[in-house]
Amino acid sequence: MERLALCLRNLGRHAWRTRIILLIALLGAFLTFLFENLIEDISRKQSDMFGRAFSGHFLVLDREIETKNTFGYYFYEPEQMMSPGQVQSVRAYLAGLPEVSGAQERIVFSGLYYGEEDAERGFRGVAMDMEEFSRNFTDMYYAKGLALQGGEQGACAPSWYEYEKDKNLVVGKSYVFLLPNRDGEFVDREVLAKGGIDYRTMPKDAVGLSSILFDLAGYRAMLGYSEPVASEVVGFLKDARTSARVLPQIQAWLDSHAPRLKVVSWREYAPIFAEIVLGFDVAMKAVETILLAICILLVVKLTTFSIIERYSEIGTLRAIGFSRRDITLQFTLEGFLAIAAGAAAGFLLAAGLIALLHVTGVQNHTTFWSYMIGDGFRPSFHSFKVLRVVGIFLAVAVLAPLFPAIQGGRLSILRTLEKR
Amino acid sequence: MAAVRNGITLRGLCKEYRLGRTSVHALRNVNLEIASGSFACVAGPSGSGKTTLLNMIGLIDTPTSGTVHVAGEDIQGLPEKLRTRYRSRTLGFIFQSFNLLPVLDVFENVHLPLILHRELSPEEKKSRVMEMVEAVGLADHVRHKPFELSGGQRQRVAIARALVTHPRIVLADEPTANLDSHTGAEVLDLMVRINAERGTMFIFSSHDPRVMERAARVIHLHDGEIEAA
Repeated sequence: MERLALCLRNLGRHAWRTRIILLIALLGAFLTFLFENLIEDISRKQSDMFGRAFSGHFLVLDREIETKNTFGYYFYEPEQMMSPGQVQSVRAYLAGLPEVSGAQERIVFSGLYYGEEDAERGFRGVAMDMEEFSRNFTDMYYAKGLALQGGEQGACAPSWYEYEKDKNLVVGKSYVFLLPNRDGEFVDREVLAKGGIDYRTMPKDAVGLSSILFDLAGYRAMLGYSEPVASEVVGFLKDARTSARVLPQIQAWLDSHAPRLKVVSWREYAPIFAEIVLGFDVAMKAVETILLAICILLVVKLTTFSIIERYSEIGTLRAIGFSRRDITLQFTLEGFLAIAAGAAAGFLLAAGLIALLHVTGVQNHTTFWSYMIGDGFRPSFHSFKVLRVVGIFLAVAVLAPLFPAIQGGRLSILRTLEKR
Repeated sequence: MAAVRNGITLRGLCKEYRLGRTSVHALRNVNLEIASGSFACVAGPSGSGKTTLLNMIGLIDTPTSGTVHVAGEDIQGLPEKLRTRYRSRTLGFIFQSFNLLPVLDVFENVHLPLILHRELSPEEKKSRVMEMVEAVGLADHVRHKPFELSGGQRQRVAIARALVTHPRIVLADEPTANLDSHTGAEVLDLMVRINAERGTMFIFSSHDPRVMERAARVIHLHDGEIEAA
């Protein structure tokens, strides 16, 4: 207690230095605590979103089509299209599986259009029957639950969005697009925008996409397909956890009934999302590490400065019987108290902010954050994160002042007494 | 003879400092015996080795050669832990510029060395501090900070701090050098009184003849050698 009182007196005496350490520790603890908990919340939210989107969905398509990390916008040759018979038999088979909640055919394609500056731009699109479009599917992928707007069966190019210019196709106006015909050649098509979904929330630029959506019948008619062909059948599982069991079962059926086809889990797309999450995590950790490093360096610097300034005091204490360990303990304790007090204040502030955000929720309207965390989330405390951050700061509070304190304890009494 | 046995014995004490290529002999073959309970002044001009001599006895510096025995024990040969213990239990220090901790008040400054005396209860420590503060005549100033005291009062606080652990030996390096003659005389009076009342050995350095006059024994140093003891 006597030592503690002495430390507190010294901290009070060197108020500006104490305040700087307090402030650094406060800022470091505040941001670290906040980041750690937010990262955890974002990770959980993402896991949930992508887990639902990717684990529960699958594609049946030609074996030769490369789908990995294509986000569903893969390239195929006209001969790789599924025939009407294949589409029908696959859909009939999937309809009989109790684990599958739904399936539908669609055509994935790429196209061209001319922008305002007459520059040629590429886009990718999906033509599918919007009336049967699963809400579970759209939740994540296109409109996040928004209903079709003014959609009309047989309409083409119902909606289009270009992220950079916030440009929408105007319903009721015609536009010229270069679209592939059934042989894969690009031909001019005049398309009348009749309505559709607003999928502005999908950050196409973030993944290098611009997209246009067609209804399946309209697209087939436009390309001159009289028969109901498709590039794939997309299906969704009632419970994503069954995918490991059900997908091999589907593949076995395909091997015997349609050997040209394969079933692909949407998990194949996951690696890139995992990388995005990892990148985000690494960036946050880097910020934390830099903050901690600055915090440690400043505490070391200030403790060293304190020791230099108090040379004579160290000499006096040593002369009246304080050991090297006593001096080390003295300066370590002073640094520890300042950091611990600052960090405690930082924790409280961060906890207050997290509690507030928990009540209000984190909303987002930007495409990137929509992409990362969906339509928002409510941050909360995660006990292991709390323990981790407290542990880190306790370690910093002990270790940062320790090195200069040891140096202080090793000073020669004679030298310290001579410095006045 | 018992007083000598319990006192300080210096044998062949030498201290050589190296300043670049030249060496400075701060102490040259010092042989000296100081009996316990002495009131001795180490006198000499600046650079004569007074402070170095006190530093050797106070284990603040180490000799180049020679020994320092206190109560028959070679203190310079002690391991670090026992040297620290010797400084806290056997010695008291009084510095020329008082060396009080500005952040602490009179009571706390005097109490400072007792932090290391865990065998004493808080009540005993408090009683000792008050006893010493009263002995040096500062009972009315216990809550004053050093900057609120005069030079003489500060030195009295330093004396109280040196004595609060009940040391056998008090080393004082030019204790009156920073004080006016009247205050210096008062401080010396106090030291003389404590020496007489408690039997505490005082070894202090000075080059002031008026201070030397008050000493029971004057050890004259010149260029690191004892001229007269």
